[in-house]
Amino acid sequence: MNALKHNRYRNAAAVVAGILFTSFVVLQVNSPTIANPPVTSEFHGPEEVTAILKRSCYDCHSNETNLRWYDKIAPFSYKVAADVEEARKRFNFSEWDSIPKGDQEGKLWYIVNMIDAGRMPLPEYTATHPSAKVSPAELGILKKYVTEISRKHYATGDTAHIVGKPRVSQAPTSLNGIRYFDDYKNWKVISSTGRADNGTMRIIYGNDIAVKALEQDKIRPWPDGAVIAKVVWNSQAPDAEGNVKPGNFNNVQIMVRDAKKFTETEGWGFARFNGLELKPYGKTASFATACMNCHQLAEETGFVFDIPTKRVGR
Amino acid sequence: MKTNILTLFLTVLTFAGCSEPRRLAPAPETIFNDHDLQVVTSFHNDRTRTISVLYGNDDAVANAGKERAGHVAGEVYKLVTWNLKGNPLWFGGNINGSLVSEETVTVVPGRDGSPQAGYTLELRGGNNRENAAGQKAERISFIFAQQASVFP
Ligand code: HEC
Ligand code: HEC
Repeated sequence: MNALKHNRYRNAAAVVAGILFTSFVVLQVNSPTIANPPVTSEFHGPEEVTAILKRSCYDCHSNETNLRWYDKIAPFSYKVAADVEEARKRFNFSEWDSIPKGDQEGKLWYIVNMIDAGRMPLPEYTATHPSAKVSPAELGILKKYVTEISRKHYATGDTAHIVGKPRVSQAPTSLNGIRYFDDYKNWKVISSTGRADNGTMRIIYGNDIAVKALEQDKIRPWPDGAVIAKVVWNSQAPDAEGNVKPGNFNNVQIMVRDAKKFTETEGWGFARFNGLELKPYGKTASFATACMNCHQLAEETGFVFDIPTKRVGR
Repeated sequence: MKTNILTLFLTVLTFAGCSEPRRLAPAPETIFNDHDLQVVTSFHNDRTRTISVLYGNDDAVANAGKERAGHVAGEVYKLVTWNLKGNPLWFGGNINGSLVSEETVTVVPGRDGSPQAGYTLELRGGNNRENAAGQKAERISFIFAQQASVFP
């Protein structure tokens, strides 16, 4: 009797093991393989820079993916393949020139900041590929590299004649329904910034709800109705005293908090209006996904970069 | 042994990642209360590591926008200066830190009827820059010389 029961258990265990094994084999057979399409326009930089990127990023962000044997075993292989696919879609060092020339430099700063924030290479990847980690010294090399290319570009500053205001007759509307407005000029300035990375300077305004949220430290998440507007000018070259002053107007960018409406972008609605004609930015309403992807780096402050902050803890 | 278990427990807790410890909190005390003045322009300086915003009332904005020549009684300018620091959330960006000073220029009718400019300097956060009489005229002409930024 007892022995019979025992046998039944044993049989059940064998069946379960069999099922598991079969699914494992099926998973392996169907396991995605990652093709390496040809390298069409490779990123070129100084040797010491490309060496770091090749070692740490090329497995995902290039057509020279070099997977270890354990990356090819299901179920891990599924995750790896999905990561590579997504990573190549975001940007691809083997097809670097598919990024418009004017945007390549900005992408490099994005790259450096993703590493700086510890978001890249993906932490779950470095856990199994420790050699892909970027050391602080290597990050220093990358920071120096981007700083130098940008200095080269922006040292002369905006030398064009500063063009005054032709009034736009009707307030333009962004593809996601956010309409340009003038009211921010009466709001409080919450911060002002100067950026070496793209030769611009900015003033950031917050409406009453936004300022109150800062005062009460209620920014995780920000309350509905908070609106932040950022006005961007090209920087002129420093004058004799070293003052960097605004040149031509560049754009206005707006973030509107509505947690129910903008669910796909963490509750923030994004809009950008370029040039004095205030041309709405973006080809489809999904342009805001790219805004939000980068603003993830400011998760700690409710996805807003430009607020006055102080260090806490530790 | 006990400490080992405790360490293990803490490690598990950390990896469970309730959430990363917070490093940054808002510093609303650096926000300037402009009392309905508007932004005239702004600038920053890598040598002095400061960033400034020049505010003005309607008369001041009109003047800095070069919509009319000469100064008129009633113009009010405020030049607010902060320390400049690296943006902790973005390498490559600089952002204002703590307040350094607030300089005010007001244009009032002089005894002979022609407008005259007065100047005051308030220092913040333990800064003690000299407010020498000679500097006053210099600061007034510096503030008057600023061009209004182009807004859409
Ligand atoms: C294991 C694969 C993997 C590796 C290795 C990797 N990335 Fe990524 N990367 C991704 C994925 C997946 C995304 C998109 C999802 C996300 O942001 O998490 C991404 C997104 C990015 C983005 C955002 C791009 C955009 O336009 O949205 C940047 C920048 C970036 N990676 C830089 C790097 C850098 C720099 C390295 C090397 C130091 C690196 N990545 C290594 C997988 C990877
Ligand atoms: C590659 C990264 C990146 C992308 C993409 C991006 N931003 Fe930002 N954004 C930043 C950084 C960094 C700052 C703060 C630095 C500064 O403005 O000086 C910022 C600041 C802002 C601000 C001021 C409030 C704040 O968060 O500091 C607004 C508004 C804003 N961005 C809107 C947008 C919109 C709209 C888009 C999409 C059209 C966009 N951003 C795309 C990086 C990005």
